[in-house]
Amino acid sequence: MIGPMKRLLRSRGARKLGRDRLALASMFVIGAYLAIAIAVGVFGLISGEEAIFRIGPDQLVGAWGKPTVEQRMHYLEFYVDQVDQAFDKREPEKALAAIDFFGLRTVSTDEDVMAEKLETIFDPFDELYELQEEEGFADDPENFARLEKLEVDIAAMFQQPEGWERRYRDIGLLLGTDRQGRSILLRAVYAIKVAVQIGLVAALVSVLIGTILGGVAAFFGGWVDHVIVWLYSTLSAIPYIILLMVLAAMFLGSPFEGTLIPVYVAFCMTFWIGPCRVVRGEVMKLRELEYVQAATAVGFGRTRILLKHIIPNTTHLMFINFSLIFIGAIKAEVILSFLGLGVKNEPSWGVMINQSRQEVIAGFMWQIGAATFFMFTLVLAFNILSDALQDAFDPKHV
Amino acid sequence: MSAPLIEVTGLTKWFPVRRGVLQRKVGDVKAVDGVSFHVDRDETLSLVGESGCGKTTAARALLRLVEPTAGRAIYRPSEDAEVDLFGLGARALRRWRRDLQIVFQDPFESLNPRMSVGQIVGEPLRVHGVCARDEIDARVEQLLERVGLRADVRNRYPHEFSGGQRQRIGIARALALEPKFVVCDEAVSALDVSIQAQILNLLGDLRRDFGLSFLFIAHDLSVVKYISDRIAVMYLGRIVETGTREDVFERAAHPYTRALLSAVPVPDPKRKKDRIILQGDVPSPLQPPSGCHFRTRCPLAEARCAETYPETVRLSATHSAACHLLP
Repeated sequence: MIGPMKRLLRSRGARKLGRDRLALASMFVIGAYLAIAIAVGVFGLISGEEAIFRIGPDQLVGAWGKPTVEQRMHYLEFYVDQVDQAFDKREPEKALAAIDFFGLRTVSTDEDVMAEKLETIFDPFDELYELQEEEGFADDPENFARLEKLEVDIAAMFQQPEGWERRYRDIGLLLGTDRQGRSILLRAVYAIKVAVQIGLVAALVSVLIGTILGGVAAFFGGWVDHVIVWLYSTLSAIPYIILLMVLAAMFLGSPFEGTLIPVYVAFCMTFWIGPCRVVRGEVMKLRELEYVQAATAVGFGRTRILLKHIIPNTTHLMFINFSLIFIGAIKAEVILSFLGLGVKNEPSWGVMINQSRQEVIAGFMWQIGAATFFMFTLVLAFNILSDALQDAFDPKHV
Repeated sequence: MSAPLIEVTGLTKWFPVRRGVLQRKVGDVKAVDGVSFHVDRDETLSLVGESGCGKTTAARALLRLVEPTAGRAIYRPSEDAEVDLFGLGARALRRWRRDLQIVFQDPFESLNPRMSVGQIVGEPLRVHGVCARDEIDARVEQLLERVGLRADVRNRYPHEFSGGQRQRIGIARALALEPKFVVCDEAVSALDVSIQAQILNLLGDLRRDFGLSFLFIAHDLSVVKYISDRIAVMYLGRIVETGTREDVFERAAHPYTRALLSAVPVPDPKRKKDRIILQGDVPSPLQPPSGCHFRTRCPLAEARCAETYPETVRLSATHSAACHLLP
């Protein structure tokens, strides 16, 4: 294993890749995504729950966004409601203690203290709430001053967390919150793990299946070839997104529903076709080459020839197909999740885009923007890299 | 006279031609059409002819790198043992392959680019269990030195070598199993003339040292003259003339052989050449001409040549040719 690796690193292709700055940048981006995916998936940087929990008011704009007056009123209403609702519960003190948005808690959990604070806010808040309906509300500097004072008062009911908790909450709010008040950034970052997981599994399994079937089909020929070609021709005659939908729908009600298994199965069943075709063509060419004939003449078995002399010479195709399928699977996951057939119970970019439909109508772009940006960056980096890989390792390219 | 090492009778390889949606068979390319020859022990037989005359296919069919359509090939590992090469099953064939090796034309395509030289030459030893595992490296080095390479090249990869060096590696691989019979399929055609001479001398030395027999496939008659004991001339899938080197070069009987010989460049500007220029192209092996295949281009063709394929005429103990015009 070490010999070929060293040879690969010293090869002309690797040197060529090393000179391609765009390729290096895209490798860096992909590396960062992989690191995050590992940090999330293996070391639990963000737990699934953190990505599901409320961090603040819904549709909070991101750190460098400027909320409109209506949005600011909406946020205030949320905080007032939270405290107010606690008093409707049978044990208000417990309810008050339960208020915790990533470390943001009420100043006190004492019923009387909070009731007093709430009392002073109610009237100005209601007044302002009524005024909001009137025309020219936002232009009146007097109203503006009242809004700002109210914001300070309401903020005083809560205490900001300290230290790393504070920092974590600030990061969580960087890209705002979705309709359920969940951190968009944390969800989008958590979705990296989901995307990489799906991309890796789909790409590894499909390239493996495709290479083996393609190699076997071309090398042994005859009826084996006919069966495999028939199989992938049939599969590829079905519009692939429909096949994915049917496969995903087949798993509804099965024990695997809600897991990623249906997605994996659907992807692996469709994506192996690409590498299978390409590898079949390449093996047909390699099979006739003289070193393969030499191996036959020396008296090697056919399996040995296939595994030692032919398959290793298709590795460049495996690399390229791997990166193509990796992004293909990520994009397909987004489409499936958008249609509600993909990822369940976990945030993914497709789920986020699906959920942001109503936000977009309301003019709130943070969620769809974040999901699209994260996906776009990864897909773009992979596209650039696979182009560069093709250029660098294709023996016909000088 | 002892029995020949290799005896081929009526070797035929037809490639079916399929056309249309239903892949209906519309005919056969008769690449090799009933070829018979033999190779004695310690002898080099050359198979010569134009490109596309079926000489490579004949050799590959003999080694069953392509499955022959018909014919019989006997290999005699010793005086009184006979192996029917075309009758062997895959497993039995693999055992006998040790004795019958091939050196290929294109040194750039005949070595697996992903294996080191040591692996390429050592793999046959390992697979056939020729020597103990810890002796393989030593044996590989010995082989590499024998073909004129340094022993330390075994950790390098084929792309680091020149064409001539690669051909030496190919020869080392063929010799690894200590074969008795080696097919050289245009083994020097892809090399520069100076390198050709080196490789030809190497092959000659090896033949002497290991007691090899060669089937040498070539289209360059000066190379053939240099290396052969006997020569078989092929035209369009059939052998038209066989004989010793002297028979063919001094007393060529078949018009095609004469035309070939007249095309050999002679490095003497004063000598007046009477070249026989052949008209037209080689006919398609899908639909060979009736009667003698060569009649369409033969300067001496007569009416009877279009009717039947000529019988092979024995001109001497070693020399025979297939032509109606021969007595």
